[in-house]
This record gives sequence, C-alpha cells and structure tokens, in this order.
Amino acid sequence: MRKGALKKKQRQLEELHLDRREALGELVLGMFVQGNWDDSLLARGAAEVSEVENELKGLAAGDAPARPEPDSAEHDFPATGEYTAEHGLPTGEYTAEHDYPATGEHTVEHSLPSSAEITLPPAGDKPTEPAAPDAVPKVAPTPEAAKPAEPAAPKAVPGPVPPSATASPAPAPSTPAAPAPARPASPTPTAEPAKPGGAAKDAGAVKSGDPAKPADTKPADPSQQSATATPATPPKPKSPLEQLSERLEASESHARTGAEAAKAAVAADSKTELSAIAREIETDRKQLAEALKGAAAAISSSEEKARQAEARLARESAANRESAAEWVRNQAAEIEADAALAAEMTGPGTGSQAVPPPGATETSPDAVTAARIASLEADLAAEKAAKAEVITNAEARLKTIEENTRKAEERVAAAEKTAAGAANAEPAGKTGSPKESAAAEAEAREAAVNWLRGQIGALRQELTKDSSSSATSAETASTDKTEPTDPGKAGS
Amino acid sequence: MGLFSRGGQSGRERKAMKDHLDELDELRRNSLSELGEMTVTMAGQGSFDRRGLSEKATEVVSIDREADLIARGLEEGLTLEELEDLARQEDEPGTDPGK
Repeated sequence: MRKGALKKKQRQLEELHLDRREALGELVLGMFVQGNWDDSLLARGAAEVSEVENELKGLAAGDAPARPEPDSAEHDFPATGEYTAEHGLPTGEYTAEHDYPATGEHTVEHSLPSSAEITLPPAGDKPTEPAAPDAVPKVAPTPEAAKPAEPAAPKAVPGPVPPSATASPAPAPSTPAAPAPARPASPTPTAEPAKPGGAAKDAGAVKSGDPAKPADTKPADPSQQSATATPATPPKPKSPLEQLSERLEASESHARTGAEAAKAAVAADSKTELSAIAREIETDRKQLAEALKGAAAAISSSEEKARQAEARLARESAANRESAAEWVRNQAAEIEADAALAAEMTGPGTGSQAVPPPGATETSPDAVTAARIASLEADLAAEKAAKAEVITNAEARLKTIEENTRKAEERVAAAEKTAAGAANAEPAGKTGSPKESAAAEAEAREAAVNWLRGQIGALRQELTKDSSSSATSAETASTDKTEPTDPGKAGS
Repeated sequence: MGLFSRGGQSGRERKAMKDHLDELDELRRNSLSELGEMTVTMAGQGSFDRRGLSEKATEVVSIDREADLIARGLEEGLTLEELEDLARQEDEPGTDPGK
C-alpha cells in the first residue's frame, strides 16, 4: 500500500478514535444523567476505543517494517520490538462495538436492550461470568474487578465475542458475553498476572499468551465476518488491510451522515437568521413610515404658519398703505389750502390794498414801508415756522412709516426663518412648498417696500414742493408789499 | 436605530452569544473526549471510579445547560443582562440534573 494511502487511513483512524472517545464520553454522560451505571457497557465501550487506538498504533508502527520484508517472521512485530497482539491479528473487525453508532448518540437505552440481563446479578453474576469458557477464580471480588482484563478484550476476546457480536440484536445470550473481557485473560495460565498490571503489563500478558492466542483468534475473526455461527470453516480471512478499509468506509459513511446533519443544522440556523433579519427590516420600515408621517405633519404645520404670516403681512402692508394714503390726502388738502391762501393774498383786489392803513396819511411813506416790511418779515417768519413744523411732522411720520416697514421686514424674515427651520427639521419632506411660500413672501415684502419707498419719495417731493412754494409765496408777498395776513392761516 | 437589532438584543451581543456557543460546543466535545479517555484509562486499570466519572460528567452537563441557555437567548433575542437574570433564576432552584 502506498504511503499516502496509509497516511490517509491513519488520519481516518485518528478521527475514528476521536469519535469513539466522544461516543464513550456520551455514553458515560447518559449513564450519569440516568443514574444507571453499567460497567460492562463501559468496558465494552472502552475496549472499542482502545481497539481503535491499538489499530492506530499498529498502523503507525507497522508502516515501516511492513514493506521491507513482508514475509519475515518479524512481520508481526512493530519496529519498536514490543509485540502487541493486534499486529498479528486482524484487529477488532468484529466486536460488540460495531453495534454502536460511532457518533455517540447512543445512550444507555439504545445500547442496553441487553443491559437488563447484564444488571440482573451484579453481585451474583460472578458465577455466570466464569461460566462462559473456563472459570478461573477472580482475584478481585468487586464488580469493577471484573473489568480489569478488558483492555486485553479486543485482542483476546475471540472466544466469547462471537456470540455477542453476532447476536448484538439478540439480547439474552450475547450479554453474558459482554463482561467476557475478563475471560480471555483467565483461560491462559499467564493471564493471572496480567490483571493487576496496567496496559503495559497487559501487552506482556498478551505476549505470554501469544502462543495460544494466534491460534485462537485467527479462526475466530472469519467467523465474525462471515456471519453468525460458522466458527469451524473460515475459508480465507480477509487481509487486515481490507478489513481496515471496510471499517474506514463505514466510518466515512458515518462521517458523511454527520456532515449532512451538520449541513441541515446550518441551513436551519441560517433560515432562522434570515427570518430574524426580515423581522427587523419590517420593524425598521414601520419606524421609517412613522417618521415620514411625522415629517409630513410638521411640513403641513409649517406651511400653515407661512400662510398665516403671508396674510398678516398683506394685512399690515394694506393698513400701512391706507394710512400713508390718508396722510398724503391730508397733506394735499393742506397744501391746497395754502395755495388758495397764497393766491388770495397775491390777488389784485385784496382788502389790504383797498383799505388804506390807518396811519398812512399821517406817517411818512418810509415809515409805512418799514412797517410793511416788518410785518411781511414777521409773516414770513411765521410761515417759515409753520412750514418747519409741517416738515418735522412729515419727517416724524416718515420715520414711523419706515419703522413700520422695518418691522414688517423683520416679521417677514422671522416667518422665513421659521419656515426654513421647519424645512430643516424634516429632511424627508423636501417638497417645494416652503420655498414657494418663501419666494411669495419675499415678493410680497419687496412689493410692499417698493410701494412704501414710492410713497416716501412722493411725500418728500411734496414737502420740498411745499417749502419751495411757500418760499416763493413769501417772496411774492414781500415784493407785493401788501398788508400782513394772519400768520396762523399760512402756517396751517 | 439598529437595523439588525432583534428585540433588545444588539448585533454585537448576538455575535458574542454565537461565539460563546461555538466555544461551548468545542468545550463539550473536548470534555466528552476527556471523559472517554478517562473511561478507557479506568478500564485499563480494571476499575471504574464513578465519582471521577460523575464529576467529569457534571462538567459536561453544566456545559450543556449553559449552551441551552445561550441558544434560548439567541432564539428569543434576549440581551446579556436578561440572559444573566435568566441564568440566575435557573440557578436558584438548584435543579442540577447530575446531582
């Protein structure tokens, strides 16, 4: 066999060894949980594990010497020189452990259809145990003492095992054979010292039992492989490697089923994970929808606010316009009155000229002229004062209008800010309505401001025109040298 | 808003639980293997020390219980605090199947 194949088999054996150890641990765990200890079962499981272990050792040790001289007498001995029974035997092809699944899912119930029979006389079965092949007196009286030889079981078991192996489904006769591990050591006279000794001594014991065993075991193996009860006619035992490969195939199939189970478990796990993710996405979607609803409500409220701000602005601008128009009308009426008064004063048939002053005849013309000039100057001063008062009034009014305008602008700016804040608060609601409302507000505000500016300009023009006309009227009055009129009228 | 959060459990917690579950699985296998090895050794010595086996099996049972708890936490989307509370509640009755 090639080295690669040997290594592969060795690897597979190692895996099998691990699996069996775990299975044995599982078995112990099951017994512990159920509180039902079965030493014979433990011994069988341990024998199974140690068998694989021995096979592994044999494979590792027999790797090198197997090739150089396959037919030599040392063929059975590993390179290290210590002879273990497995080398010579078709190791462990049949033992009770073939009945166990290697995956370890068997617990006491599975493997113990026969356990009932085993447990029946824990103390009293000692007579039954030896009853099997040859009853050699046990050294240890305890039930555990029945097992000590079971490490040698896989090697030396051939005699008792066939019934148990073949009858694994058949409970009753086979189970007494289970504790048989003790027997193989006992039949040979040399087996007695092997019991107290550990595994090392065990090998020695086997070595001492060697002459007897190879003869025993070899015929026993084929009997297991073939079927139930043909101990006498084993035509040709399969070679150990073939048997080993068969076992490895079986373990591979076990591993395959295990892998399939693991795959199924992974699939189920991923399915649950997917469903969890889908649930999370659904809840997140709901939350998003709620957030969108809130954003839409906030947008509508901000739109409403903007509409109210627009209406207020329009109302205020209309009121301002009305008050400005009223003021302009008043000013126009006053100016008209001033103009009429001026025209009256400058008219040819004024009463001041028709009626001669009382002291005109007595006073000199210079004195009259001086008096006239003085009166005119006083008149002019009064008119100037009146005009200045009007101008200050107009300026105050202008300031008020400007103040109102500024306040309106501030309100518009505040409304714009609130609208912008509302738009920022809801990022999802990027609709054009706030922008449109802001643009409409800006346009309305611009129109109001323009209108007010026009009004202010017109008023200023009126005022300048007023002052200039009053100045000219004063000049004309001074040149006309008429009688002084009532300054209060001109001032109005 | 954790997109992949389930209940009160965060993704980080879930990952930690899964990792711990894997560790427990590995630990369980190791413990079972050690238990098997111990059994083989005892068989080689000719006597089974049930107390030793029971102690080791108790470890495995406790690992199983913890793994069950973690699996339940994963399934029900529990947070680590809730899981601790649950573990405490389960510990209170003292229902250790091995004892």
